[in-house]
Amino acid sequence: MQVTFENVKKVFDKNVVLDDISFEIPESELVTILGPSGCGKSTTLMLISGLMFPENGRILFGDKDVTEMDAMERKVGMVFQNYALYPHLSVLENIMFPLKMLKMPKDERVERAMELAKLVKIEGQVNQKPGELSGGQQQRVAIARALAKEPSLLLMDEPLSNLDARLRIEMREEIRRIQEETNVTTVFVTHDQEEALSISDKIMVLDKGYIQQYSSPTDLYNKPENLFVAQFLGTPIINTLTMTEALNLSSLAIDPTILKKAKTVAIRPENIFEVKDESEAFIKGTVRFVEVIGKNVTVHVDTEIGDIVATDLGFIHERGDEIMLGVNEEDLLLFDDQDLTIQRGVSNA
Amino acid sequence: MTQKNKKRIVNTLLYAILTIGALTMLLPFFWMISTSFKTAGQAVAMPPVWIPKDLQISNYEKALSMAPFGRYFLNSVLVTAISTTGELITTILAAFAFSRLEFYGKNVLFVLLISTMMVPGELLTIPNFVTLSKWQLINTYPSLFLPFLANVFSIYILKEAFEAIPDEIYYAAKVDGSSDWRYLWTVMVPMAKSSIVSIAILGIVGSWNSFMWPLIVTTEQSMRTLPVGLQAFTTEAGTQFELLMAASTIVVIPMIIVYLFLQKNIIEGLASGGSKG
Amino acid sequence: MHNKPSWKSTFQSLLYLAPALILIGIFNIYPIFKSLAMSFYTDYNIFTGEVKSYGLDNFSRIFADPNFFRAIKNTFFFVLGVVPISIVISLAIAILLNRIPKLSDFFRSVYFLPFVTSTVAVSIVWNWLYHTRFGLINYFLSFVGVDPIAWLTNPNYSIMALVIMSVWKGLGYNIILFLVGLNNINKTYYQAAEVDGAKSWQQFTNITVPLLSPYILLVSIIGVINSFKVFTEVYSLFAGRPGPAGSALTMVFYIYEKFYTEYQYGVASAAGIVLFLIILVFTLLQRLISNRFVHN
Repeated sequence: MQVTFENVKKVFDKNVVLDDISFEIPESELVTILGPSGCGKSTTLMLISGLMFPENGRILFGDKDVTEMDAMERKVGMVFQNYALYPHLSVLENIMFPLKMLKMPKDERVERAMELAKLVKIEGQVNQKPGELSGGQQQRVAIARALAKEPSLLLMDEPLSNLDARLRIEMREEIRRIQEETNVTTVFVTHDQEEALSISDKIMVLDKGYIQQYSSPTDLYNKPENLFVAQFLGTPIINTLTMTEALNLSSLAIDPTILKKAKTVAIRPENIFEVKDESEAFIKGTVRFVEVIGKNVTVHVDTEIGDIVATDLGFIHERGDEIMLGVNEEDLLLFDDQDLTIQRGVSNA
Repeated sequence: MTQKNKKRIVNTLLYAILTIGALTMLLPFFWMISTSFKTAGQAVAMPPVWIPKDLQISNYEKALSMAPFGRYFLNSVLVTAISTTGELITTILAAFAFSRLEFYGKNVLFVLLISTMMVPGELLTIPNFVTLSKWQLINTYPSLFLPFLANVFSIYILKEAFEAIPDEIYYAAKVDGSSDWRYLWTVMVPMAKSSIVSIAILGIVGSWNSFMWPLIVTTEQSMRTLPVGLQAFTTEAGTQFELLMAASTIVVIPMIIVYLFLQKNIIEGLASGGSKG
Repeated sequence: MHNKPSWKSTFQSLLYLAPALILIGIFNIYPIFKSLAMSFYTDYNIFTGEVKSYGLDNFSRIFADPNFFRAIKNTFFFVLGVVPISIVISLAIAILLNRIPKLSDFFRSVYFLPFVTSTVAVSIVWNWLYHTRFGLINYFLSFVGVDPIAWLTNPNYSIMALVIMSVWKGLGYNIILFLVGLNNINKTYYQAAEVDGAKSWQQFTNITVPLLSPYILLVSIIGVINSFKVFTEVYSLFAGRPGPAGSALTMVFYIYEKFYTEYQYGVASAAGIVLFLIILVFTLLQRLISNRFVHN
């Protein structure tokens, strides 16, 4: 089911958490709301679920206005960060709880709950209490419970942040699999950009109550619309350099009018390579520190305009080496004095 | 002396002190039961008869025939059951509103209720007696339980317990299609079970042993509760201590039996009530 | 993260609150004001409820009544006897229970038993134990050469008799509270003290007492409030009388007599207000003292 926000505003104790935001979540897709803590992403989810109500604006499910309806009437499924399982009920009873609220007959309830337990691969633990399960298993139960009443919308509020790193990767693949099998429209909230990039059809980046960008994961990474998005995505963090004389961009084919407006330059660490000719280098510097983690080598270069991080230079350098750095024009991001993107590679031109 | 031997001696000493203390605690009960099986002569014998040879069961028959202890017992059960059940219901509903619902004047109302706990219950006895007399309820069951159907302290304890349940559980239940009412009874109440059991035990022990209020509102024998009935029996039995002890045993034994089975719950329930006060 | 209250949510909340609020309103809040008002009734018809005049007569009457001062004095003696003795004994037993490796739950249950049994029943049993000629207590005292004591008929001994029985009855409750407190003391403090070379007694005075002080305060406040209201023990131990020659007349007993046997509702209410104020002052004093000495 498609979800539409029209000019929605939400205020808590005089703090504007969401300011006049509008967007659409397309049917059957997995959309992630990504942002730092306090950006309003959980609030957005609460507004979709009907656990909170906006001060202004309309919320539509399909063509239906649900702005005034509460959570009971909206019939969405929801998964919480701390799982929020009922500790006094068994796994099966937890999954059956929404069906019990719908007054479904007991035998149908059990049948349906068992189906779901199989879908999330928890069928071996149905008679245990949530307290006896691991975090990953509890999360599976929470997903099964959220899907029990066949909601047309599944909401997930940081569902993986209480899991350890390995389990997090396993569970996010599971969520993607379950979403594809059930084809349910899913809204996934997270502060973890890697999680968002790996799982989503579309990503909405929120900050300070505004939508910073709403696009596909690849566009978000390669074509950020502003400096915030460029800096929020990617590890190590994108190199951000202030436009100065020291920066030599003359070898690159960039429109001089754009170059004139540019205030900030950003280059992803993996796009930096070494050049031999000084005229091709945008900057030169000294290797300050080489960090080796398994196959990944990260080189920190000290330059006169600050520290630059590069990840694709290979094993060849050690501390103290003089080095000249190059970049291709299509990998160069330029921002104006409003921090808006004015150049994101020639492919975009 | 080795460290181990020293420890053993200390432990033996600790157990000896505790055992003497425990015997002191139990002695009155032992003496009550022992006397209740004696003849009048054995009861006042010096040196005392510790365990009578022929058990005088007739003391119990006599005590039961002199006063309607069965009726007192039923009255006590009825009053305790109604006041505890009623208290639980009003407490659960009110604690839910204070912990989970939003309404105007919530904090003011709660502070007002909490401040009434400072006033000793004995002060309320007189106006409450006047109220119930006006309603012509003296010497009826309602007069015995009406003032105890709601309790501020219980509301306070349960509100705290309810507030310890994470908000997400409430949100999950809402999204799962549960109304506030069903959420309260199917999720919150089972999750706060231990606090509710504590409140019930505080209520049961308090109501079962309560004396001053039932003494004041009952003048007819048929309405007396066990403690009031037992007290009245002392004037009838006079100095027949074997009969008095038989009657006391009848009153004390049911509570001791319940205590033997539920001692852990009772002790922890009463202690948690105290440490939160 | 909560939604804001609205008139609709306020109405719904009121439905949940109504049963408790109505009952508490009638039987807890109204009586507070009513008893305050009644203490100023000077001319009152108890059958019609008609009040002809108000004044301070009730207060001047209790303050002119030697029995009222005797009741206050007796109650103070009782409180000053029960509370410290009970705290010392129960603290000692709680510490012993905390140190033994086995059977501490069993002992705990035994010590707690009197607390759950009917005050009337145990008072009647103690009445028998205190019997001058045939009582078990005087029998035991005779072994150490003490002449029979007229516990319940000699006015000099009646408060002592009341104190001994009340300590016995309430001991288990205080022990439980102290055990809760002792369990809350982190064991690492003792290990650290051991490493620092502290002896048992030093550990007791430097760790146990300061860390347990909030519980000592709690037990003393509960003890003081409950002891000030002593009534059933007196009534049952002395067969419905306030002890020989009124020697065990306590404040609540005084209120009960004025109210229930003499029908002087106004005087009884005035005495009740004084009781309330005394308890209030005492609990405030305890809190004040505790702010200086209790470790939090």
